[in-house]
Amino acid sequence: MLSYLARRLIFAVFLVFAVSSASLVLVRLAPGDYATESLGIAAHADTAAQTRRRFGLDRPFAEQYRDWIVRAVHLDFGRSMAYDRPVSDLIPERAANTAVLAFTALAMATLIGLPLGIITGSRRSGLLPDLIRIVSVTLLSMPPLLTSLFLVFLAARTGWLPIGGMGGSPDAAGGRFLDVVRHLVIPAAALAMPLAAMFERMQSQAMSETIGQPFVMAALARGVPRSRVVWRGALKAALRPVTSIYGLVIGTLLSGSFAVEMITSWPGLGRLMLDALRARDVYLVAGCAAAGSVFLAAGTLVSDAALALVDPRAAE
Amino acid sequence: MLLAAGVAIGAAVMIGVRRMPPAPAATPATLAGRGGDLVVSMRTEPASFNRLTRRDASTELVSILTQAKLVRVNRASQAVEPWLATSWTRSADGLHYTLALRPDVAFSDGQPFTADDVVFSFAAAYDDRTSSVLADSLQANGRKLTVAALDAHTVVVTFPEPFGPGVRILDNLPIFPRHKLQAALAAGTLARAWDLKTPPAEIAGLGPFVLSEYLPGQRLVFVRNPKYFLRDDRGTPLPYLDRITVEIIPDQNAEMLALEAGQTDMTTDAMRPEDYAPLHRAADAGRVRLLDLGVSYDADSLWFNLKPGAFAQDPRASWIQRDELRRAISMAVDRKRFADTVFLGAGVPVFGPETPANREWFSADVPQTPYDPAGARALVASIAGGQSPRFTLLTQKGRTSLERGSAIIRDELQKIGVVVDVVPLDGNALIQRFVSGAGYDAIYFRAAATDTDPALTPDFWFSFGSAHMWNIAEKTPATQWEREIDTLMAKQIASSDLQERKRLFVEVQRIFAEHQPAVYFAAPRVFVASSSRVVNNAPALIRPQLLWAPDRVAVAGAARPTH
Repeated sequence: MLSYLARRLIFAVFLVFAVSSASLVLVRLAPGDYATESLGIAAHADTAAQTRRRFGLDRPFAEQYRDWIVRAVHLDFGRSMAYDRPVSDLIPERAANTAVLAFTALAMATLIGLPLGIITGSRRSGLLPDLIRIVSVTLLSMPPLLTSLFLVFLAARTGWLPIGGMGGSPDAAGGRFLDVVRHLVIPAAALAMPLAAMFERMQSQAMSETIGQPFVMAALARGVPRSRVVWRGALKAALRPVTSIYGLVIGTLLSGSFAVEMITSWPGLGRLMLDALRARDVYLVAGCAAAGSVFLAAGTLVSDAALALVDPRAAE
Repeated sequence: MLLAAGVAIGAAVMIGVRRMPPAPAATPATLAGRGGDLVVSMRTEPASFNRLTRRDASTELVSILTQAKLVRVNRASQAVEPWLATSWTRSADGLHYTLALRPDVAFSDGQPFTADDVVFSFAAAYDDRTSSVLADSLQANGRKLTVAALDAHTVVVTFPEPFGPGVRILDNLPIFPRHKLQAALAAGTLARAWDLKTPPAEIAGLGPFVLSEYLPGQRLVFVRNPKYFLRDDRGTPLPYLDRITVEIIPDQNAEMLALEAGQTDMTTDAMRPEDYAPLHRAADAGRVRLLDLGVSYDADSLWFNLKPGAFAQDPRASWIQRDELRRAISMAVDRKRFADTVFLGAGVPVFGPETPANREWFSADVPQTPYDPAGARALVASIAGGQSPRFTLLTQKGRTSLERGSAIIRDELQKIGVVVDVVPLDGNALIQRFVSGAGYDAIYFRAAATDTDPALTPDFWFSFGSAHMWNIAEKTPATQWEREIDTLMAKQIASSDLQERKRLFVEVQRIFAEHQPAVYFAAPRVFVASSSRVVNNAPALIRPQLLWAPDRVAVAGAARPTH
């Protein structure tokens, strides 16, 4: 088990290194650089050269990359050119916002998707299960980008909720915390809806299979109430498939909520990375990519560990 | 983002090429009272609080709100107005300007403002270690000004040679607090001063507002600077507003939705043509006020790579850099239809770099190319030497007007026998091609003017300029007509007689129209929108259209003046 986890950990480190290096190389090799982006079309050649010198962009790329690797080993990811601040200062504050969004979405998806999956999995037919299945399939086919556009449009038309930003104004009705909660609804729902649909489908299938197991049939034959069999006995056995992908979902959410952050103006890692890409801020792009891959690797690691615990054959 | 763009294009198709109805040119002034909050949206957050090192629109907005200058160019009237300087005189030789500074002015932290702060600000802008983005804009004909303090409230600005625009150039420099930044300048670390980690209380300014809170990626909050020195005509202390909150909304569609839904009061940028239809509904409901500011100062243009030798090994060398080709392109495009299609009914035909918006420097006497596709076809045939002319036109990806415009140019030129391959590129890649002067045939782009006075945009007109699009930074003029323009512009800049300057500039425009190194087709009308509670601003064509004088902006319903 330990050697299995060690192997997965080595893979995670390699993933972070490969993703951040690739993003740095690709952004650096793309036409243009931070100087052309920040100074614009009419910049004097001297001013552009001065800017390149100041940020070390005039040095050979191999030299820049070598220095970056050496510093990255010491967890120093360089200095953002656009913000003129260490990348390691910028990432945590945005990553925390992304984490708030991702975990809220996960909680919403879990609280909605799992119970609905139990309902549809334990009943073969009926208006409610059929309706839930239709909605789930529809939501599964909609990417978060579309759901966020739809929700933002709905909020703008109705005025029920703020359509963008993170809130947190001390002057807002209900105070800073409630203001953040109100601003969270749309981006979290945009991420949670397709995820809840996925949980519902997985849980439904698992529950349906579990309901047919002999131990469930025996309990029902003994006269144990159906609701008790489903919500206590069968649920525990049917949770395994969802549990095994939970870690991966966390990683995906943390590293993949970029589109929703842009549409809903959520100040997370995705927006920071897009700004960095636009500015050709190579070190910040690499830092954001590294943070995203750390989330993904951590999620995969947790998922692998959970799977190994549930099914020891996976660790072999 | 792609879908967002799709939504925008859909809206554009819906409104078609309908001519937009006229809208009020300014918001009401009669309701201005003191107090109230304003919520403004901006698409990017500032890169720094240090205007010396950053030229992005967001950093500039922070500077506009928190800092003051010696003079201010009224963006609506284009007149130079006193600000920190109350008056100025010019020496007989036109080289020295003596400026009287406003007494009893203090920075937001209470420290008095003196002539030393002016001298310091120039030193900071010209410091090589700071590599300030302001340095280029504070030069007269490529040379620095010198500044000296005569006493605590008088400074003398000396130009290296007579300079027609005079003190107008001082609008480019905010005055920085010497007591806060002198140590950083001395240590050579001024470029890193006032970064985004700096506590707002550390940032002192002379502007109408002070930064009170910055939440990265979310918002900046500015509150009234109690030390601000200006009063309105009725004696009411400015600014009118208590607070301005700048919300960062990166997506332009979301920005428009927020305005439409009443969650923000204004944007810091002009509307796109495709935003007009949805906002018109909000305007009809009385929530939003649409303002038609008139024709833009900037127009899209097409230019070829005219660098000598750029096509030396190319079989197209015999025709691709010829004046006749550009004239044929100019004749082949129906500008009226072009303006209607590209700007969805909100554009006007233009024939040169100065649009009718620039009332001071635009001249109707400059020749205009007629629409003549038959003539254009004949002209192309006369230079092509049996070849089928074909070139690649680069444009910026994601800017809908440029993408639409390049498609029309392609279609129109096909009719006269010229094949155009349109290649949309990312903005940075496009600039890289242009700056290198290699690897491109032609570019279709819009560069924003930084000033309406041609003397303050010398990089465009002079052959050695960095914005001399078709052949940047020439060591010596590549053509006789560029040499003539250089000579005329040098005279124009040096003259202190406005009429003479205008006459010379008409000559410059005539030569430009004859050779058309860049072909202009249309300029958009500029529309901005604000919530109907915003009053007393004088919208201008240059960004930020509604906030260039934030001390005067007010909201309806605020307390009436108490004088």
